[in-house]
Amino acid sequence: MTLTLQPVRVGNGSDEEGMLVFNGNQRLMAVLTHLGDQYGALSGHWYLETGFGRVDGVSHPTFSDLDVAKDWISRRLAHQP
Amino acid sequence: MQASFHPDYNPLIRKLESIFKLTDDERQALQNLPMQMATIKEDQDIVREGDRPSRSCLIVSGFACAYKMTAHGKRQIVSFTIAGDIPDLQSLHLKVLDSSVSTISRCSVGFIAHEDLRALCERYPRITAAFWRETLIDAAIFREWVVNVGRREGSSRMAHILCELIVRLKAVGLVEDDVCDLPITQGEFADALGFSPVHVNRVFQQLRAEGLILTQGTRLTIPDWDRLKMAAEFDPTYLHLVQENAAA
Repeated sequence: MTLTLQPVRVGNGSDEEGMLVFNGNQRLMAVLTHLGDQYGALSGHWYLETGFGRVDGVSHPTFSDLDVAKDWISRRLAHQP
Repeated sequence: MQASFHPDYNPLIRKLESIFKLTDDERQALQNLPMQMATIKEDQDIVREGDRPSRSCLIVSGFACAYKMTAHGKRQIVSFTIAGDIPDLQSLHLKVLDSSVSTISRCSVGFIAHEDLRALCERYPRITAAFWRETLIDAAIFREWVVNVGRREGSSRMAHILCELIVRLKAVGLVEDDVCDLPITQGEFADALGFSPVHVNRVFQQLRAEGLILTQGTRLTIPDWDRLKMAAEFDPTYLHLVQENAAA
């Protein structure tokens, strides 16, 4: 599945640089935020702020870059672990 | 190695006396309870789900937790365990452990044989009552955790667990001038509160920004206990402590 990204500012008080993640039907599936300096080893990673549909759930992983994030979201959408 | 504690610093006596009034005889019996001492480094399992132990473990010093794992390998910490707690006391009556106990920091642990615990309880029915009371309070703490994880928002949820830990640590003499050592990592708080580590980090930042907590390494300072209690919606009644000052 082809996912597309759209930059967005996220009003969560910190880590405002974000990305909306759309599926092939242009439905919003996830919001990612770029983690700032205060997270130690996770700083600079992308955080699954929230997900929708099959991306929704208790897991809020972090990803080293946007390609890794897109792979993970694609697998969730395809129902793979 | 056998344990030899000064009665005033025996963590088991101190813990039980925070929830139950003991007589001198009962204190002496607890003081004489045979115990095999061990030092266990951080992040090590002490007992595991499915075990059938013939002894229970008293946490003498350090921090530990009880936890369960999901089939997908996610950990839920179901309680934090501090000095004076016996996190697997239930194994005296429930033969198979339904949760694991792991150290958080380096712990000094005293293993007490079930046969010695049984003999103690048979000889001192009020100590049986004290242990019963302790397990009832554990159940009250689990109820409060369900409310906390299920219904409180981010900063209140974190503030509540901090209030609980401080009151429990205070009851066993481990808080001085609103300062305590709290070696629980953000990842461990995440596993206890159902948050992601990133969310825990943000909530800590928020609590610090609001002046509700000060942290320096593992040292936690509470500048204004009443404000933290209010932010946490914290009412210590469920801890059922007998010492008035411990529930302040």
